[in-house]
Amino acid sequence: MTRTSSEAQSGRTPPSRADRRQTRRLRRFDSPWMNPKLFWGLGLLLGIVAIGLLGRLFWNLDLVFTGSNTLKLPPVGFENLRRQEGTWINPLGTDGSGRDMLALIIMGAPNSLFVGLLASLIGMTTGIVLGFTAGFVGGRVDDTIRVLSDVMITIPPLLILVVFQSAFGDVSLTMMALLIAGFVWQSPTRLIRAQVLSMKRSGYVQMAQLSGASVPHIMFREMMPNLVPYLFGSFIASVTTAIVTAVGLEVLGLGPQRIPTLGRTIYEAINAGALIQNLWWWWGLPTLLLGVMFIGLLLINLGLDEVSNPRLRKLS
Amino acid sequence: MPDTPVLTLRDLSIDFPTPQGVVQAVKALSLTIQAGRRVGFIGESGSGKTTTALAIMRMLAEPGRVSNGTIDLAGTDVLALSEEEMRRTRLSRVAYIPQGAMNSLNPVMRVEPQMWDAVIAHEGALPRGTLKARSAAALASVGLPAHTGNLYPHELSGGMKQRVCIALGILLDPDLIIADEPTSALDVVTQRQVMQTLNDIQRKIGSGLILIGHDMGLMAQSVDELAVLKDGELVEHGTVAQIIDAPKHPYTQDLIRSVPLVGGESFLNPDRSAPAPRRSSREPLLRFDGVSKTYGTVTALHPMSFALQGDTPQIISIVGQSGSGKSTMGGVMLGFNPPTTGRVLYEGRDVYGMGAADSLDFRKNVQAVFQDPYGCFNPFYRVSHALSFPFRRFGLSEGKAHTQRAMEDACAAVGLDPDLVLPRYPHQLSGGQRQRLIVARALMLSPKLLIADEPVSMVDASLRATILSNIYDLKDKHGISILYITHDLATAYHVSDFVMVLYKGRVVEAGPPGQVIGDPRHPYTRLLIDSIPWPDLNRPWGSDDWTPEALEHEAQAAAAQFRGNVPGFDLQTE
Repeated sequence: MTRTSSEAQSGRTPPSRADRRQTRRLRRFDSPWMNPKLFWGLGLLLGIVAIGLLGRLFWNLDLVFTGSNTLKLPPVGFENLRRQEGTWINPLGTDGSGRDMLALIIMGAPNSLFVGLLASLIGMTTGIVLGFTAGFVGGRVDDTIRVLSDVMITIPPLLILVVFQSAFGDVSLTMMALLIAGFVWQSPTRLIRAQVLSMKRSGYVQMAQLSGASVPHIMFREMMPNLVPYLFGSFIASVTTAIVTAVGLEVLGLGPQRIPTLGRTIYEAINAGALIQNLWWWWGLPTLLLGVMFIGLLLINLGLDEVSNPRLRKLS
Repeated sequence: MPDTPVLTLRDLSIDFPTPQGVVQAVKALSLTIQAGRRVGFIGESGSGKTTTALAIMRMLAEPGRVSNGTIDLAGTDVLALSEEEMRRTRLSRVAYIPQGAMNSLNPVMRVEPQMWDAVIAHEGALPRGTLKARSAAALASVGLPAHTGNLYPHELSGGMKQRVCIALGILLDPDLIIADEPTSALDVVTQRQVMQTLNDIQRKIGSGLILIGHDMGLMAQSVDELAVLKDGELVEHGTVAQIIDAPKHPYTQDLIRSVPLVGGESFLNPDRSAPAPRRSSREPLLRFDGVSKTYGTVTALHPMSFALQGDTPQIISIVGQSGSGKSTMGGVMLGFNPPTTGRVLYEGRDVYGMGAADSLDFRKNVQAVFQDPYGCFNPFYRVSHALSFPFRRFGLSEGKAHTQRAMEDACAAVGLDPDLVLPRYPHQLSGGQRQRLIVARALMLSPKLLIADEPVSMVDASLRATILSNIYDLKDKHGISILYITHDLATAYHVSDFVMVLYKGRVVEAGPPGQVIGDPRHPYTRLLIDSIPWPDLNRPWGSDDWTPEALEHEAQAAAAQFRGNVPGFDLQTE
């Protein structure tokens, strides 16, 4: 006994750096929402939103119209092939028809994010409703929903969307989001159905039944809160899918024709031979922004994964 | 060489750093285990039994670490080995049979290749014939037929899976076997068979054995020495005879006293004389009218009829092994599982054809306590949600303050401190606390009938008596009739007014507990009672000629025994 107490005393020496780091890790383990990945991911996405908002306040958006300035000007500090230098009137340069790149980005970047968010919001809502119905009602309804979502998963969305979009001609952003939403509800449906099926047999759902709880109460008050981490994760994943699909369509020239989007800017750059003429800012800046967007989404997804699955939270 | 120690622990301390500071899971533990000896580690959950075992295997969960002391495995310093040396040591010199070993077999592999993997990992590639012979021999030594090797784990019963795990453990003739609650998921009859297998094989290969558990009876019947652990400290160590007959430490005395014995002293409140409050009712509270349940071709419950009157509250025990149909019966009564034939009547109304208002009344008056106290609380809410929600739902609440007061009273009645327990989340409470909260919940709703499905089988032995007396008080003080579903005859003996023994969906023996359990007539009841491990060295358990198969065979043929009635409960079987 004396031995243990003397050891306990010697343990009270000021903690070393390694010890302090260990404590910090443990604290993070206890409050999972303080996740650095989550912070960085959110930061990147908010940055893009901020570009859109602040740009509308502080930048002249009329510069997005064709011929508002000299064609193919480089960003400030660079020279193009015609030895023209970048000016502060167009800090990020201009494209092949004299539109200001900064204004294009300010208009375009939030648009891409908007399509992604709207599409996956619709998709998730459908998924939650169908998943809960399938899991809870079971039987024929379950069979129908399951087969339907399984079949839809096997269809490559881009293929169908290309056909749709070319049939529609010019579409609005909302229309495009709706079309994409038709392809992002399947995996949330399956995920939620599986969770509901396993939760239905859990002790607390039985207890709620014993407590005379109604079906909506069991669904939304007992089961739903426990699904929140999954729903978040699935939401972020479908935002990513939706943006990829939207940008894919735009790069093919099938997106909205009159509204600037990042994908459409890339499409025009490729069409005008920007790669050969070394007009890197034309296609490079939108690509960079899309990259930032995806990295942000990926980080959020990884962060949420660690939040909802404690086994991934590493201590060392 | 009976005198060489296979394991010497010296001043072993294990630390778990947490944000609140370092938790010492094991404190300066010193222990020696001789070859061929069986040592039991006994203590509550959280006492450091499993942690010690994992430290010997060098498999401590992160961030735990051995902070002091040595582990000497037959001359090898385990803590000084490299990772690769340790890998070679595991299984070949010290084998660990984990808790819930039935879930540690790979579900997509047949049994045989899993055993071969173990051999190959230690001895390199061997010809298939040799491997096959090795695995067959190991399976034979645990009493499994050779064709078991070609089966998948899901094709085996719980007891067989457990034996496969034992076969895996002894495959390489280890010096030491560590069995961590090897029978905690098995019923009594299988438990006795598995323990016999484990002891036989240990004797044959002459290794040391550490048996981890919390059941004093099982320990008394299976080990030579006992080490009692409490909060990471070794509080008592000695031979079984010493500890059972003359326990020195008060904790050990508690542990021994907490085992309910058939015919022994009652652990319930001594003043049972006060008659339970009566209720007035005309219709029987619950009536089974030719109820049976079949799943496909399997009959879980043969047609059964009984009536439980509502005027005198009583406790009816339904006893049987897993698979006897007792939980099916519970589900049918609760309205979760419609019967295949027959009707379940609650106060004269069919449970499976009720309107919304009747259904709510039925729900209010027929409540349950389930086996698993961990699953019963929604992890999203504080535990008070589970108590206050039904209270409001059934219209018993007269406002927030009233609900709060009712919850506090109910907690106090089951011996919990309301201020300490109610504002917590379920994961912050122990299994015993949660189960008592569920009893408190039942108390708040004051139903007419409570169905308690194995309420104490997942709770530490030392807490079982408390929870059972809480449940017993429900009847005694609050006039609630209780159907107690269990596999534990000893507790059924104490709490119940009437016992039904269920075997393969049929009632094989029924009557007052003193007669049915005190003097069993049906071979199956005898089999169940024989399988109880007694914490009494004068009632040996491990006689080798014990063959459950013969008794079970006899039980198939024997006629049901009905042993008298208690007023208010009428049983008819056809």
